[in-house]
Amino acid sequence: MMKFAPLIWKNLGRNKLRSVITGIAIAFAVAMVCVLRMLPAALDGMLDSMSAGTRISVHNKAGLTYSLPYAYVNKVRAMHGVVDVATYQWFGGVVDEDKGVQFPNFAVDSDHVAVVFEDWKIDAKALEDFENYRDGALVGTMTMKQQGWKIGDLITLKSTIVPVEAKLRIVGEIERGPFVWFSREYLEQAMLAQGLSFDTTGTLWVRIDDASQVNPLMARIDETFRNSEAETSSETEKAFFSNMMSSAQGYVTILLIVAGVVTLCIVFIAANTASMSVRERVGELAIMKALGFRWRTLFTTLVVEAALLSTVAGAVGVLLSIGATNALRAITAGSASAGPMNAFFVSNAVLVQTLFVAFFIGIVSGAFPAFGASRKSVAQTLREVF
Amino acid sequence: MALPLSYSLRSLFARRLRTGLTVGVIALVVVAVSLILSLASSLRRTLVSSGDARNLIVMRKGSDNDGSSQLTLQSLQDIRFFEGIARSPEGEPLLSPELVMQPFFIPRTGGRENVLVRGVELMALAVHDDAKIAEGRMFVPSSGEAVVGRGVARRYLGAQLGDQLAFGRNSWKVVGILESGGSSFESEVWVDARELANDAKRVMPYSGFRLRVADGADLEALARRIGDDPRHALEAKRETEYYAEQAEASGQIYVLVVFVALFAGLGAMLGATNTLYAAVQARVAEIGTLRALGFSRAEILRSFVVESLATAALGFVVGGALAIALAAGVSAALGGISWQAETFTTNVIQLRVGAWDLAVAAALSIVIGLVGGFFPARRAANLRPIEALRKA
Repeated sequence: MMKFAPLIWKNLGRNKLRSVITGIAIAFAVAMVCVLRMLPAALDGMLDSMSAGTRISVHNKAGLTYSLPYAYVNKVRAMHGVVDVATYQWFGGVVDEDKGVQFPNFAVDSDHVAVVFEDWKIDAKALEDFENYRDGALVGTMTMKQQGWKIGDLITLKSTIVPVEAKLRIVGEIERGPFVWFSREYLEQAMLAQGLSFDTTGTLWVRIDDASQVNPLMARIDETFRNSEAETSSETEKAFFSNMMSSAQGYVTILLIVAGVVTLCIVFIAANTASMSVRERVGELAIMKALGFRWRTLFTTLVVEAALLSTVAGAVGVLLSIGATNALRAITAGSASAGPMNAFFVSNAVLVQTLFVAFFIGIVSGAFPAFGASRKSVAQTLREVF
Repeated sequence: MALPLSYSLRSLFARRLRTGLTVGVIALVVVAVSLILSLASSLRRTLVSSGDARNLIVMRKGSDNDGSSQLTLQSLQDIRFFEGIARSPEGEPLLSPELVMQPFFIPRTGGRENVLVRGVELMALAVHDDAKIAEGRMFVPSSGEAVVGRGVARRYLGAQLGDQLAFGRNSWKVVGILESGGSSFESEVWVDARELANDAKRVMPYSGFRLRVADGADLEALARRIGDDPRHALEAKRETEYYAEQAEASGQIYVLVVFVALFAGLGAMLGATNTLYAAVQARVAEIGTLRALGFSRAEILRSFVVESLATAALGFVVGGALAIALAAGVSAALGGISWQAETFTTNVIQLRVGAWDLAVAAALSIVIGLVGGFFPARRAANLRPIEALRKA
């Protein structure tokens, strides 16, 4: 077969303009498909990187905006297999009332987050200060940058849900995410000063010692609070985040349809070119056949030619998509509303799949016209041409 | 002398497979672009059509949506009789105190979504006068009844008229279906405000107030007076403005539209160029003959560009029809596309390809046809008749 390589190469170069144009068209379409296909992969990758297998979220079964009695913490903490529990209370604090809530901020159990979020690798000194100073705050790196804050700064967060203004001092940084944490104790005392009692919380984050015990433990927690005034619903951390994003489903459906449509586009472009090349060469092919070349050989060279073109173009497209996702990330960087868009990254699985699809398209688009040409007899073809 | 239009059109039919494939490519690009555009525009249409320019929304200062705002009973009593608020025929202020909760609902397709449940008083129907009970009746306060938006009824389990709908800590009997001309109230459930507050065990009973400004009263001045009231940290803005701000999130979709249009559009353009080059090549003798007969270069250029434009137009028609059908199909299959804003509230959008989406797709196909056709057409026009005939 290798001795036909020069023939294939010459054939590709025969109509350079057409080969190049087809190549570029396929490359663009492949790049598109890559970018679109990466959205679900980006979402999943984001979820994986966000969650730990040994952390469970417990919240009110009715919804995230419903509260749980704070007393639940001690009941869960006493359960066998639970290492520690920290609570999260949404504070809805704003720095500037005209700009609204710019980052998620929570009142947390400052003496328990170190254990529960051990895998976040927060600086030990920062955690110690956070535990010791009632007005301490830990701030996500993203938010630090966005607000131009540094460690040691004094900040004021005005809540939009309780009549409290939290005056805090930044004692450290949380490298992942935009979160701002401050002590629940601070919030309780501030509420008390207003004459308001505060004995509820939003979410419990439970750290367990054995990842294989996640399911039985979740069942046990929910069973404990069944038929109480606030029934709970437990989820793994990954399920929690993926449920938060479940409404992106429609969006993803549309993108996948579009990706499918564009893939079909590639097929059409490639098939068009292949059919043109074969059609022009019908006479030549008949002569080669008359000279004694086997039809199988000629068929193979045609298919290889088409496959080579679309695979090379596919590779260029994949490179293009890497550039495009980098650009997309750069454009949407720092904009919280961009959601998964700034989590686009190139996953190897998608790249390999797309390359394979390009290769497959090349074979199919080459095979059809080549097969069509083979059905005519040599004599008939030559008669038509000359 | 002009080459007749039918010459260009007949040339297309002479090579059916090739024309068909090129039309297919352009049609698919039209589908891709108009589907994504329709996602953005359907979301925008839902939100922008919401609210009334004569209404004010009052929230706690700093809240960007009523789901994250909490207000006291005292603040309601303090602003209720402000001057400039319209009155009902009975003399009641047209002011609707509302409590927003976002409990989980289960879509027909599985998973769970936060649906906006609005606790209201009967006054709400007078303040939001675009919202109408289309089927059934309004709920009776304190009797565990709910009315659900048309979009909610389509998308979620147990939300049909007569169903017992479970959310929060209780279950509620669905007694009516709410319609508001496609605006975001159709993605909501309305129940009695007091019942909802009890169910949610809220410290503060309200999220926001909606009020109708009296005819002739100064809306801006009323908004300022509410915002400047030193007793409460309140903020009032025009309802339409509030929903327009919510619609800004759809901006991110446009980034994607540009990407698709650029990449897929370029691909299609090159595909069309290719086809036309081949058409020119196959017709060298014909073009030579035309030139020899006295048709000018300009005429031949025009005729080839027309051929390419006709291909693009055909592609647009096929693609547009396909996109409209696909959008309707997806909408029906999922019971509407859900869109969760940053505020966690889900809007149920009926995906529809609008006139503007089609216009953009049409413009793109014209560009594809023009640019894709120009270079091959120029080559055809520049053929020297003698050489062209000799080659044949």
